[in-house]
Order: sequence, then C-alpha cells, then structure tokens
Amino acid sequence: MSSFKRILKSLGNGPTRRNLFGPVDREQFAARNTNNALQKDLEEASNRWGFDFVTEKPLEGGDFQWEGVPDVKVPALYRSCMVGDLPRVRGAESTSAAALVMEVSPGPSHNGKENIPCTLERYGDSHWGLEKTPEKRNKLKRKQTNITDFYQAKRRVVATPRKTGQ
Amino acid sequence: MELLCLEMDTIVRARPDPNLLYDDRVLQRLLTIEERFLPQCSYFKCVQKDIQPFMRRMVATWMLEVCEEQKCEEEVFPLAMNYLDRFLAVVPTRKCNLQLLGAVCMFLASKLKETRPLTAEKLCIYTDNSIRPQELLEWELVVLGKLKWNLAAVTPNDFIEHIVRKLPLPKDKLDLIRKHVQTFIALCATDFTFAMYPPSMIATGSVGAAICGLQLNTTDHSLWGDNLTDLLAKITNTEVDVLKACQEQIERVLMNSLREGRRQQQKQQQQEQGGARNKTLDEQDQSSTPTDVRDINL
Repeated sequence: MSSFKRILKSLGNGPTRRNLFGPVDREQFAARNTNNALQKDLEEASNRWGFDFVTEKPLEGGDFQWEGVPDVKVPALYRSCMVGDLPRVRGAESTSAAALVMEVSPGPSHNGKENIPCTLERYGDSHWGLEKTPEKRNKLKRKQTNITDFYQAKRRVVATPRKTGQ
Repeated sequence: MELLCLEMDTIVRARPDPNLLYDDRVLQRLLTIEERFLPQCSYFKCVQKDIQPFMRRMVATWMLEVCEEQKCEEEVFPLAMNYLDRFLAVVPTRKCNLQLLGAVCMFLASKLKETRPLTAEKLCIYTDNSIRPQELLEWELVVLGKLKWNLAAVTPNDFIEHIVRKLPLPKDKLDLIRKHVQTFIALCATDFTFAMYPPSMIATGSVGAAICGLQLNTTDHSLWGDNLTDLLAKITNTEVDVLKACQEQIERVLMNSLREGRRQQQKQQQQEQGGARNKTLDEQDQSSTPTDVRDINL
C-alpha cells in the first residue's frame, strides 16, 4: 500500500526538509505585527459581543446583557486561571517525557512544554473569558452546575440562528 | 524505562464507532454543515497578489510529504489544506511566508486530530529552519483568529465510511479501496481546482475513481459505470453530472501526477547512469513505481 502512496510522493522532489520560498519576511511576522493582528481580532470580537475582553467589562449598548459568574460555578475547563497556570494543568504528566523535551530544546522559554505561546497569554485569557462569562440564569438556585446549564450557555454564546437541517 | 518507551510508541486509536458510522443522521448533518467550512472565495483572483497557484501546489506537496514522513493520521493533511485555503481567502499573504503558514496549518490540524501531535520544533526543522518555533506559535494565534477558531472543519475523509458502507463491495477489498480513496482525497487537496468543492463531492468522486480504477465494477451490476455514479450521487445528494465531472477531474489530476512522476523518474535514471551512482534503495523505489500504475489500472 505504501507503494501506492508514491504516486503522491512523485509530486515532490528532493528531501522533505527544505525551504520553499526563501527567507521568511520577519518584518511581517514580527511579534508586534502579530500583536497588531491579534489586537484587531480582539476589537472585532469586542464589537461583536459588546464586551471589552481586556478589562473584562461589558460595553455600553451591546446586543448582550452580561452577568458575572463566580469561578466555582463553572466547569474547571472554563476557569481562566487554568490558562495562565500551565504547569499545574498538566503537572501530573510532567514526568520524564517532559523533562526530556526541556533538555533537547533549552533555547526558547517553553517551560518544558511545547506549543505554548510565551508572549500572548493575555489573549488566551480573554478568549477563555469570552467562553466563560455568558452563562447562568438562575445562579442562586443551584449549588452545582450540571450538563444542561452548560448546554444552555453554549447556545447563547454562539448566538447565530442555526438551521437544524432535519 | 523500556516500558515507558513502548508506551510512547503505541498509538492510541479509537475503534470505529457504529453509532456514528451507521447512523444516517450523522451523514445528513455532515452534508448540512460542510459548506460552512469552504474558503470564502477563489482567492488567487480576489485576495492574493504575491501568491500564485503553482506556489500553493509547492507548499501543499511539501505539507503532504511532511505528513507522510511523520505518519500523520490521514485527515491531517486535507484538514491543514482547508485551514490554509480559508486563511488565504481572507488575508493577503506574501509568498515568503507561505511555508510558515503551511507549517502552522499542519500544526493545528495535527493537534486537532492526533493523540501525539507534530511539535513546533519538528515542523521548523522541516522548513530547513527557515522559521523559528516562536514565530510558528505567534502565527498560530493569528491563524486561529482568522479562522474564528472554527477548526473542526468537515473533510472529505469524514464521508468515506458513510459512502463505502452503502455500496455492494467485496469485503476483502475494502481496505484497498479505502486506501485508494484516501490517496485521491490527498491528491485533490494538492490541486486548487478542488479547493472550493464541497468535501462530500470530493469524497464521492474519489470513491467512484477508486472503484473504477481498481476495476471492481466488473463483479456487480450496480457498480457498472453509470449505475455506480447514480448510486453514489444518491448517497451524498450530489447531482449526477457534477459528480461525473468531478470524478473525471480527479482521474485527470491523477494521470498528470503519474506522468509527472514518470518524468522525474526518467530524469533521475538518466542522472544516475551519467553519474554511475549505485544506490540500491533508489533502484528499489524506481522498480516499484510502474507497479503503482498497474495497481490502479489506468
């Protein structure tokens, strides 16, 4: 079967490890520019949801009515502290495998973890904020969140009319 | 210690779930939502100034090679191409950043689909270190933002089982058929012509091309030429004419890629005769290539 795959291989030539189009345009990809792009996305999101994700305050005149919900009332996944506090999240598995990664790549400040942006946690935080906040109607009545609460919240976040298709 | 190594090498894979695969509501739902994940426009005309179709092909080919070398799950490559197309449909991008974008898209697709995803470091090595992991991670957020975090896109691969199980195919050939269909789907993802096609159509066309190519349609009446097309069209609600055109296009792309493969192989052989190089591995590769052509009976 792998021989059949060579049909696709024939599309390329030479070793897989290669640079296709010369040096990357570092200027366009400089941190401040990506930050600008993220900033723009954030503004768009703010306008759409009527919520300032930086200060975590609702904006005047938005389409949504925002209500604060205490951390303990939402599933752990939606608590913003999880994002900033990475070593704790996956602490349990940081055995020899994670230690090995750290040894191999001591250069970038990855905290021994891969795939975690170092400069942009703020954006991550606010994103989780966005998922977290618009939950709950009757927070006083319930002691424990259950799955239907969560489902309701989800539907309100998406907020676009969905065709059911059937 | 040894035990740990063994654990690391085991790929944890969920078994096919009959509740998902044998329920028509799932197929209907996939058909309903698939169009949401198509690129917004044919971006070479309206968005990109620096990037040309052949460059997309170059980066796609490279991405496919990386995915194969790293033994990624089948849907990682088509999904990564979906991200790439959707991003390029909204953000004018310089060609010198196209490979970085491709790497980011593989990074995301791999994280979504695999138990052990590709690492940023590995992807950077595959660009011959022309990008840094930090750049990859920064651009990951930009791409996510532009895709509005909608990563669970429908791919042609999602339809394979739903289609295949409705056809009267010999059981012992199913794995072979799947493999061919997956290969055709990957091939389609390298070709921009298919970028705006709904995934279900690519999947249906690929199944048709695979069955015809393997000449499995000789055994059962319902799998003869037009009968097969009609049957396939019904399964995914595709129009017969459109489906037929799609299948023919897949066969054309396949033929071109085989021809290109042969051309390269000849070039390589000439070079080898000239330089009197003697690599047994290369020779094995070459001797097996014509078998591929017969495999699919073109």
